[in-house]
Amino acid sequence: MAAIITGPKRPWLTLPFLLPSWTDSLVLGSRRHQSSYRRTKQRLRVKPDASFGSSAERQDHIIYNPPSSAPNVYHTPTKFLPPDDVRRAMRPEEPVKQDVESLPGVFKKVYEKKYHLNPSDIEEIRKLRLEDPMKWSRHKLAKRFDCSPMFVAMVCEASQQKKEIQKQVLEAVQSRWGAKRRMAREDRQLRREAWGRDM
Amino acid sequence: MKRLQLQRWSNSVLSTRARTGSHLQHHLYNAVRRQSSTAAAVQPEFSTGEAEHETFEEIKLKTILRRTHSRPNQLKYPSPPTHAAHESAKLAALHARLYLPSRLPYETLARTLVDASADQDPNFNNESLSTLGHDLLTYYTSEHLICTYPRLPLSVIFASMYAYVGPKTLTAMTREWGVEHASSPGGEVDPGLLQFQRLAPGTELQEKEDGPRPYQSQPHWRKTVTSKIFYDNEFGDTAKTAAEGVSADQASATFVRAVMSAIYLHAGRPAAKRFFQQHFLSRHLNMAELFNFEQPTRDLTRLCARENFERPVAKVIAETGRKSRHPVFVVGIFSGQDKLGEGQGASLSEARERAAVAALKGWYLYSPLNVRLPSAMEEDEAAPWKPVHVDLGEVIV
Amino acid sequence: MTVQGLRTVTSAQNGAGAFILQCKRLDLHYNLQGASSHGLRTFVQTLLPKFARQYPQIEFRVSPTPKKHPVVRGHYINGREKPICVRNMQPNEILKKVILLKEASGEKNRRQSKPVRSLNESVRGIWSPYHGDLRGV
Repeated sequence: MAAIITGPKRPWLTLPFLLPSWTDSLVLGSRRHQSSYRRTKQRLRVKPDASFGSSAERQDHIIYNPPSSAPNVYHTPTKFLPPDDVRRAMRPEEPVKQDVESLPGVFKKVYEKKYHLNPSDIEEIRKLRLEDPMKWSRHKLAKRFDCSPMFVAMVCEASQQKKEIQKQVLEAVQSRWGAKRRMAREDRQLRREAWGRDM
Repeated sequence: MKRLQLQRWSNSVLSTRARTGSHLQHHLYNAVRRQSSTAAAVQPEFSTGEAEHETFEEIKLKTILRRTHSRPNQLKYPSPPTHAAHESAKLAALHARLYLPSRLPYETLARTLVDASADQDPNFNNESLSTLGHDLLTYYTSEHLICTYPRLPLSVIFASMYAYVGPKTLTAMTREWGVEHASSPGGEVDPGLLQFQRLAPGTELQEKEDGPRPYQSQPHWRKTVTSKIFYDNEFGDTAKTAAEGVSADQASATFVRAVMSAIYLHAGRPAAKRFFQQHFLSRHLNMAELFNFEQPTRDLTRLCARENFERPVAKVIAETGRKSRHPVFVVGIFSGQDKLGEGQGASLSEARERAAVAALKGWYLYSPLNVRLPSAMEEDEAAPWKPVHVDLGEVIV
Repeated sequence: MTVQGLRTVTSAQNGAGAFILQCKRLDLHYNLQGASSHGLRTFVQTLLPKFARQYPQIEFRVSPTPKKHPVVRGHYINGREKPICVRNMQPNEILKKVILLKEASGEKNRRQSKPVRSLNESVRGIWSPYHGDLRGV
C-alpha cells in the first residue's frame, strides 16, 4: 500500500473521492485544507480517458468510445454487411475482450445434430404414431429413435382423435383454474408475444 | 355563412356559368358561348368559324358544358363554381400555408377539395387528380423504402408504406394542414372546405365482389404475401367499397393525393419531389418498431445457414440475481467470434429470443451508404446510374 | 409467415420538413359605437391590411358584435381557440396581442422542463449497467 502512495508523481491518494470508503480514516489524518486556488485547480485536473487518444497519435483520428448501453439495431453487425460495403474496411478491429468459447451457454447441454435417421425410420415413426398414439407419444418416439421431440413433430402429426382427446384433457385441467391463475397464464402469454415485437 | 354567399351569387347564378379549371377548357368555353349567342340568329353549322375546326374532343367537351348549362336550377350545383375559388379566404390561406407554387391556381386547389361523391362530373371532382397523385406517392415512397432498406421483408414494406402514405396518415396530414370538412356538399359551400358525401353511420364497407383474385368466395383461404402483391393494393389490403358516400378518411386521402398531382401537373416534377420530401418523408417513423417475429431463433438459424455463417449460439454475457425474484440476463447471439445481436430479459429464454430479434433486425435494417433513388435519373444532367444494393429477400422457413 | 409488419402512422415533426403555421384563423370582433372598441377599429383600418398581407396563411374575419367589448380570437390547427379581450387598447398594443396569437401553437400553456423535446432516440442510447467497460481512474 505504501509503495502505491509514494509511487506516482501525483499520488491518487490526494483525490479522496476516488478512494473506497475504508480508506477514509486513513486519509483523514493526512488531509490538508485546500488553502489555495492553485491546489484546487490541480486536483480537478483529471487525465482524459485513454480512448481519447494518446500522444503517440500525430494525425487526425476517430475517437472510438462506445456507449455503455445496449447496442442499437440500426448499427448493422460487421458480419451482416455485404462484401462491397465500405464500412467493412472502416470499422476498427474491436479488441477481443473475452473469448466467446469461455462464455457460459444458455442451455446446460448442447445437443449436436446427428442426421442419423433415414427415410425408413421416419416412415416407422409415422406408422407408430398413427397406430397407437396413446402409447407412442412424441417424447417416447424421440427417446426410441434418439432424436428430439421437435423433430418428431416436424415429421408427423397426431391423428385427429388424439388431438381431440388432448384438447379435452387440457380443458379439464383449465376448468380447475381460478381467476388468478387464469389471468396469470394469460398475462404470461401476452408477455411472451411481446418478445417478438421487442417491447 | 352559406346564406350570405347565396345572396352574393344571386346575379352570377343567372348568367352563364364558368366552372372550368384549365386554360384549354376556359378557351373552349368562351368559344362555345360565342357560338351559342350567334346560333340564335343564324345557322350555327355554317356561320361560325370555330365549328369547322372542331375536333372530336372539343365536341365532347361542348356537350359536357351544355349539359352543365342546362341544369334546371343552378343553385343545385353539386360543387362550388370556379369563380368562387378567388373569393374564398380559406382557400387562399390554405394555398399560402402549404407554400404551394404560385403556378398552381386557386381553381385547381379548389377542385382537389371536391370528392367524387360530392360531384359526379369527372371534370369538376378530384378523382383523376387523385389517381395520378396516388401513383406518384406510392412510387416515391416505395423507391425510397426499397433503396434505403433493401433487405426489408415484404410484410414490413407493406406496413411502412401504410405508415407513410396510408389513409390514416393522409387523414392526419389533412388535419395538420388545417383543412376543415363541409358538413354536406353543394354549390353554395365555401370552396376552401373538403366536400364529400358522408357515409351513413353504421355502414359496413364490403370487399369488391368482382375483384381479380380467384377463389374469392372462399374467404377463409390463406392469402399469401405473393398473392397480396399480385391482387391487392400497395398496403396488402383488398379493395373495399360502400354503396353510397365515402368516409372522412377516404375523402381526406383522396384530397392529399390530388394536391400532390396538382403540384406535379402545374409546377413540375422537381416541385412535386420537394413537396414529397418536405411533407411525407420528413415525418417520423421508427422502422425497428414495425417488426413482429413469431419464432426469431428459428429464423436466425435459417438465415445463418443461407448466408453460410457459422451456426448461431446463444451465450450469457452478464447476469444478476439468478436465484432472486427479479433476475436479469444479458444474452448475446454469436456466430463464430462475431456477435450478431444482444438482448436482455428476466429469463434466459426471454433474453435469448430478444437477442435473436435484435440480430434479425440488424440484418433486415441494413441501409447502404449514399443511397441514390432511381427517380434521380429523371433530372437533366444526372450522373450515370450505379446499381443499388439488391438483396436475396427475406428468410423463408 | 415468419415476420409480420405492424401498422402504425408516421408522426408529424412540424418544421423538420415543411413548416405549417399553427394559427389558421383570426377573428376580430368590434363594436361599431363603443369607445372600448376605438383602438380595434383603428387597428383594422390602419395596421391590419399590412399584417394580413404579411401572413397570407391566416384567414382573417372582421365582424361587428353589438354591445360587446372587442375580442381577438385565434383558431388553431389542433382545434383549440384562444380569445383575447382588447378593450380600451391602443392599435399598437393590439398589434402585439395579434402577433402573440399568430405565434401561439394553440396548446395549453405548460411548463417546459427540458430544453429539447425530440422523437429521435439518443445517439448514445440509454445507459445500462450491463454494458460498457469498468473504467479504472
